[in-house]
Amino acid sequence: MSETTHSERTDTDSTIETTAGETIEQVQESWTDYKFQGEAKLTSEGLDVYYGDDHALKDVTIEIPEKSVTALIGPSGCGKSTFLRSLNRMNDRIRSARVDGSVQFDGKEIYQEGIDLVELRKRVGMVFQSPNPFPKSIHENITYGPRKHGDIETGLLARLLGRDDWDEAEELVEQSLRQAALWDEVADRLDDNALGLSGGQQQRLCIARCLSVDPEVILMDEPASALDPIATSKIEDLIHDLAEDYTVVIVTHNMQQAARISDQTAVFLTGGKLVEYDDTDKIFENPESQRVEDYITGKFG
Amino acid sequence: MASATESDLISGRTDSTEAVAGIAVGLAALLFALSLATFFDVVSVTGTLVGVPVVPLVGGLLILLGGAIITFGIGSYLGYVETTPSPTAGLVAAVAAAVPWFVAGVSVGSIMLGSGSAGGVVLGLVTGAVAFAATAFPREDLGSTLPIGALSILAGLVLLSGIIGPEWVWDLGWEQQASLTAGFVVPALTLATSLYVGWAAAKAYGGFGARGRHVGAYALVYVNALSIVAVLVILLAFTVFRGIPGLLTGAEIGLGVGPEVGLFGLSVQLPVSLPFVMNGVALLNDYQGVLPAIVGTFWLVIGAVLFAVPLGIGAAIFLTEYAERGRFTQAVEVATNGLWSTPSIVFGLFGFAFLIPRFGNGKSLLSGMLTLGFMLLPLVLITSREAMLSVPDEYRDASAALGVTKWQTIRSVVLPAALPGVVTGVILGVGRIAGETAPILLTMAGGTFVPGSQTVDVIGGFKFTATPPFVANPELLQATSALPYQLFALITAGVGLGDSVANPNDFRWATALILLVVVLSFYAIGIGARYYFRRKLQYE
Ligand SMILES: Nc1ncnc2c1ncn2[C@@H]1O[C@H](COP(=O)(O)OP(=O)(O)OP(=O)(O)O)[C@@H](O)[C@H]1O
Ligand SMILES: [Mg+2]
Repeated sequence: MSETTHSERTDTDSTIETTAGETIEQVQESWTDYKFQGEAKLTSEGLDVYYGDDHALKDVTIEIPEKSVTALIGPSGCGKSTFLRSLNRMNDRIRSARVDGSVQFDGKEIYQEGIDLVELRKRVGMVFQSPNPFPKSIHENITYGPRKHGDIETGLLARLLGRDDWDEAEELVEQSLRQAALWDEVADRLDDNALGLSGGQQQRLCIARCLSVDPEVILMDEPASALDPIATSKIEDLIHDLAEDYTVVIVTHNMQQAARISDQTAVFLTGGKLVEYDDTDKIFENPESQRVEDYITGKFG
Repeated sequence: MASATESDLISGRTDSTEAVAGIAVGLAALLFALSLATFFDVVSVTGTLVGVPVVPLVGGLLILLGGAIITFGIGSYLGYVETTPSPTAGLVAAVAAAVPWFVAGVSVGSIMLGSGSAGGVVLGLVTGAVAFAATAFPREDLGSTLPIGALSILAGLVLLSGIIGPEWVWDLGWEQQASLTAGFVVPALTLATSLYVGWAAAKAYGGFGARGRHVGAYALVYVNALSIVAVLVILLAFTVFRGIPGLLTGAEIGLGVGPEVGLFGLSVQLPVSLPFVMNGVALLNDYQGVLPAIVGTFWLVIGAVLFAVPLGIGAAIFLTEYAERGRFTQAVEVATNGLWSTPSIVFGLFGFAFLIPRFGNGKSLLSGMLTLGFMLLPLVLITSREAMLSVPDEYRDASAALGVTKWQTIRSVVLPAALPGVVTGVILGVGRIAGETAPILLTMAGGTFVPGSQTVDVIGGFKFTATPPFVANPELLQATSALPYQLFALITAGVGLGDSVANPNDFRWATALILLVVVLSFYAIGIGARYYFRRKLQYE
């Protein structure tokens, strides 16, 4: 699957000039041949997303390898979140949004009739750009997903039926919170309402909540944007560890962060176009496109 | 100093100047309270207060108040009092001063020149214009005190001099028997004047300027809120004081005096006997009571809530979470709003024409429950929908991204977050239906005096049969009474009371009191529930 070439791509905007005088078409030719190690977990082909008449994402074709970290970078409003949401079909929930093209997860088309969205989202988890914990206790926030999936049952009925996963629940809560570098701060107030946490703590709680359902792919939209350096570095360590078993796609505005944690980097530029996609080292040391270099070095947003 | 050149951060005002303005504010508040008390007959205009006849006393206080505020204004202007006035009191204050002076001019003019004459209006226009100019043009400390202080003195003189005495009557002429009496005019005059002077005094207390206006506005808002509470308290107190004697008729405390109550097969004799709420009406009773109506109201509300709440919440879930927003949801919205505004007698007629023939062909508790349930339904639907719409979409997104189904999300996230709002709706609705008379009159009520035998026993009434419909409850199909209806019947057809009701008036007021207590206890339950659900959503 990783061998797929995209010869069928047609790019109508080939006249857009970059600062170096090369055309977009030329730039894209260079990375469509990009091959990574291992299998592709998520593949998008000719993906277009519209919000009403607003063409937010244009013809994005990309392969995301499994068990690795892929960073999405680009200026604000270029469609990173939109792209992320189209990978687990969260865009369906925005009424004005319309998606064209194809996204494959483990080789299966997710934009087809009869796909089980609940199952898809169970396997492709997401951490949102703004923290959105439930107005419930910290404990309940973490166990919410597994409970609803029937993986954990502690209710009265369950107890009557001889099943009580109380210990499992406790274990899961601790493990998820530890992974998200939040355990030490909240261990003694698990039954407090999650809305009483600080913004950065809420963000880490959302990461923990996402981990609790054990997805295969984790989509993270700026997970460290509200965190202090210590928590950020813990989250980065977490992402690094996660990459051994999970596929992580992360949006970030922090170039150093992208350079530190990701295996490959995709650069989106204004207008919803994927301009370059390559090994992270290559992108940050020797990008093909002048525009990408300008963006990375801060000359151009 | 009046010229505020130095820093305003720390005001150099002395305690004594503040005290003068403070006393004026307090005096205005006292007069305001006094006028309210007079309105509600707590103080009579013909009576005396601390040994002084009320009307001259009020007049004297008004003069004192006006004098104080004028003194303060002039003192500030001359620089004896440290304030920070603006160049002018402003347009609002000017109009506010012009209106009462216009009224005063017209009144004085028409008393002196005869009512209906143009002279009164001319005089009114002149005084109004003068007051406007006197407020708008001088510096604020004069503008906001002089016209209003003078008004207070004028009102005080009118009362003190006996121009308006306790027996004063002003025949309106244009309609028979319509007249203004001192009992209305004196408190009204005092109320308006004390409000005005209180406002000016509060501004003075704040030292005029921006801070003064802030204090003035604060005082008005505060008085407004307080009077609303006062009206409520007075209403409650009125009912309670008149209701207590009837309620306590024949009350006894002591071992073994009360009726026997059976609970879970145990029968206990209550140590309290309160015939009014423990008896029905019977020929042989020592004291008559309204027990059947209390029990009837109780079951009526329970039945209506059990019927309307699940249906209303279900419909709200469908409309907010499942239905596409569009024509259909709009139509439903319009229909529910219309239904909520439908007069209750129409619901009653519906119950009478539609429900009664279907449930035993007679007035029955069940028909009453359903009719009130129909009335409650739109409000539950509207408020539940509102509450669900205000649950942030982020919660739904978060849940969906965890791979949780829509229904589970609704049940575990949306509904708990919306519950306080839903409960508020139910509280409001129960308040309305519990006091409803017309629908009950048509669908459920028995006679004016309800015999004790009509007390329903809904729980005990259930019978299970081996043949369809398997469950039967004759109690639900019996006619019974409810408090609002009983009160209505007592008032309209209260003649021919049994011998054992010594004082029919006490009996009515006691019924009203009990109705109030029943409705308020439903409120209390609702508010408790809302508090509980809200606590779960919030952090301290
Ligand atoms: N729900 C929406 N409805 C309409 N337009 C939207 C919506 N969400 C995003 N857009 C538009 O799509 C474009 C891309 O938005 P997106 O949120 O994907 O940007 P982003 O790259 O994530 O930016 P940022 O770095 O600021 O988060 C923007 O022009 C935005 O206005
Ligand atoms: Mg974004």
